[in-house]
Amino acid sequence: MNLVLVSVVIFNIVVSLLFSLGAAPILVWMERRVAGFIQDRLGPNRCNIGGFRLGGLIQSFADMLKLVFKEDYRPKSVKEKLFFSFSPVIVFVCAYLTFMVIPFADDLIIGNQIFMMQGLPIDFGILWFLAFAGLSVYGIIVGGWASNNKYSLLGGLRAAAQVISYEAAMGLSLISILIVYGTIHLGEMVRIQGELLFGFIPAWGIVMQPVAAILFIITAFAETNRAPFDIAEGESELVGGFHTEYSAMRFGLFFVGEYVAMSASSALIITLFLGGYQIPWLNTEALKNNLFWVICCLMVLAPLMSVVFARWIDKNNAWPEENDKRNVEARWLKRALVVINIVLLSILGTLLLLGMSSDAVNITVALLQIVTFALKLLFVNFFFIWVRWTLPRFRYDHLQDLGWKILLPLAIANIFFTGIFVVVFGA
Amino acid sequence: MGIKVVPRHGKSFKEKIYLPAIFGGLKVTFKHFFTNLKDTSNIKTIQYPEVMPKDITPRYRGIHRLTKREDGSIRCVACFMCATACPADCIFIEATERLDGIDEKMPKRFDIDLLECVFCGGCVEACPCDAIRMDTGIFAFVQDERKKFVINKEQLLANEAMKEEEK
Repeated sequence: MNLVLVSVVIFNIVVSLLFSLGAAPILVWMERRVAGFIQDRLGPNRCNIGGFRLGGLIQSFADMLKLVFKEDYRPKSVKEKLFFSFSPVIVFVCAYLTFMVIPFADDLIIGNQIFMMQGLPIDFGILWFLAFAGLSVYGIIVGGWASNNKYSLLGGLRAAAQVISYEAAMGLSLISILIVYGTIHLGEMVRIQGELLFGFIPAWGIVMQPVAAILFIITAFAETNRAPFDIAEGESELVGGFHTEYSAMRFGLFFVGEYVAMSASSALIITLFLGGYQIPWLNTEALKNNLFWVICCLMVLAPLMSVVFARWIDKNNAWPEENDKRNVEARWLKRALVVINIVLLSILGTLLLLGMSSDAVNITVALLQIVTFALKLLFVNFFFIWVRWTLPRFRYDHLQDLGWKILLPLAIANIFFTGIFVVVFGA
Repeated sequence: MGIKVVPRHGKSFKEKIYLPAIFGGLKVTFKHFFTNLKDTSNIKTIQYPEVMPKDITPRYRGIHRLTKREDGSIRCVACFMCATACPADCIFIEATERLDGIDEKMPKRFDIDLLECVFCGGCVEACPCDAIRMDTGIFAFVQDERKKFVINKEQLLANEAMKEEEK
């Protein structure tokens, strides 16, 4: 039985690593390609290993290698060497640890053991997120200050002021959600969101608390220093903002930290407002009872989606010359698709034919929920990128106006009305 | 002339809550994203090394060439007009006597340092014999050594005009 425990714990850590750290190169790639497509450009699509470009994904790894092997340069003017070196680590570690309390599947029951499907099996939930999201700004402030450069210092100060004003609104918007759910435990919240409102709408947070959802999403953008709130970088005014003096992997940690923080914020938005790992209309119980039909649907859907994807490859990854490396890559990708389909279908088919023990049902449900969570995570991350390439940056006073005069009163009013509603109508 | 009243925006409630405008913007960017994702051939980017740009006109000043006479011999008479006109001093000519009776003088050496050249076309303007032209349309020249950028008389003679001359 101990073997099960160890393997589930390792699995959890690996999956949360994949979602946070492994997401960074994918997000960098997505950012560039999505930006390209939005602006009618192509984006990076040339970098390859043996002809395999994977739509330009290899570029991220090349960039990462470049950052690792660059000279680790520190300007002479930096007096506080320890803080200078330490601040990227703060940003990175905080962003990374935030992810650890996000549940990516319902509690897994194997035999008589119950496992929490999250990186660290602790139930601080939302408090952990707030603590680390607040702490990560220290990295930016300390880095900006230790750089001994006026632009960096201004960037750090802007980040400090921005986070103070938006963390207030964020905390208050969370309170109304806590009133509705009555718990700080994220897994519990997602379980509540699996139910149905009036019998046909999934009781997702965004339906129950639309105002809080909008407030939280806006403040989450500010919290991760993403556009339109990326005035801490503000390259048009502040050169590079807080990371002006940083280069090589020190800058790389800031860079990756930003994307990990974005991914963590997306995960929290999903967990609080978009039903977490729940498939709409199919909560864990319903999924366990109807697993046969769900698997049948998957067995039909997977080949269909693969055919659509293969046709997309034929159309967009082709080149007039027969043996061009683009065509070679497309052929191999299509073969890989066929192999994946065969493996998937044979596994699902055996499951269907042999029938499933309760453990197998639980594990399959958990895997399905992890996939659902990953898809939702990808979509919300896409939303972050999409907004970045749509909206211009806020001016500093507009930003403070929005934070203190609009978001904060709205959040307080929302708490007030939610409280009245809950007291009058019951939870 | 009457006074044109410019309407001021941003006062109505819909504009003040800002979200409809944001969603409008998101719709526009998503439309671009989706059409380009569905079919990347919608994007106007040229796949450069495989596909060359087609909009290089004959008047584009590319790498120089030395023109030839009807019989295929060099047209240049080594008068040094181009080297004198050159603001970058990148043309190096060494004259020699021409013994085949077509003319009196011809260049023994005619080098152009492409790293010095500013592609002003001054040499083409200055030439009295129409012996040097910049109509090759070659805009990309890459070498791995500095001295390879100095192109000599044979290379200049080998360059051809991009398009047939209009008569």
